[in-house]
Amino acid sequence: MAEFDLELDARGLNCPLPILRAKKSIQQLNPGQVLKVVATDPGSVKDFEAFCKQTGNSLLASSQQGGEYHFNIQKG
Amino acid sequence: MSRRLKATERRATILAVAKVLFSDKGYHGVSVDEIARRLGVSPAILYRHFPSKEALYEEVLNEIACKRESYVDAVVNSDGSFDNVLRSITRIYVDSVSKDPDYLRMELQSALEGSSATREFFENRWRPFTDFIEYSVKDLRSRQGVAAVDPHVAALMFQGMIREALYAKCIYQSSRYRDLELQELVDALITLFLEAIGYQAG
Repeated sequence: MAEFDLELDARGLNCPLPILRAKKSIQQLNPGQVLKVVATDPGSVKDFEAFCKQTGNSLLASSQQGGEYHFNIQKG
Repeated sequence: MSRRLKATERRATILAVAKVLFSDKGYHGVSVDEIARRLGVSPAILYRHFPSKEALYEEVLNEIACKRESYVDAVVNSDGSFDNVLRSITRIYVDSVSKDPDYLRMELQSALEGSSATREFFENRWRPFTDFIEYSVKDLRSRQGVAAVDPHVAALMFQGMIREALYAKCIYQSSRYRDLELQELVDALITLFLEAIGYQAG
């Protein structure tokens, strides 16, 4: 996983909370900076793909480790 | 190719007929023979597509799971406030459930039959609301954004309210509420809910 500027722990949260918190976290970043999200909801994979498509942010990396899902999102 | 298409169509027809029967009579009230009879085929044909009644029931539920409502749009297009997100995700859920009330009937049937797996499946469909309300109310309480309400109880109140509105409009077609459109009724209930928990916008 690439480096990141801010980390969001969304473990134990279900949709729509991880997306809502990611939206708020990204507002704190400058364009080009990266937010790392760690989630446990399996639905978050599709949710973050859709989130990035709709917000113009880039999903740099998406991976699964055990029961956790990691996403690196670069602010557009 | 056309044979494969036929098999896909047949499978979709089986699922549609099974869904209506399960929603009318519950899992235990329907036999494979009855589903086959309703389809005008032999049970053997049905078993060619689904190995058992249980597998068929699971597949009907999976169809619902695949249609999991996307709340991403609602969040992206919201101002991020509790009331705005709550109204948006509720609108999406109510819209999707009211288009196919058979799922509501299946939810009721499964509650009566007491299958824990199925019960859990339907409760999970409510989790976006119960979890969202619980976490948000906890957070808002720390900032005096709501009255001193119990987040668990607030979430249960909301779930009961919306579920009952869906039953009244989509299952009972209650004459008492016939002058109100479903979404209108739901919007009014959300306003009442926000007042009840002492929500302060901003």
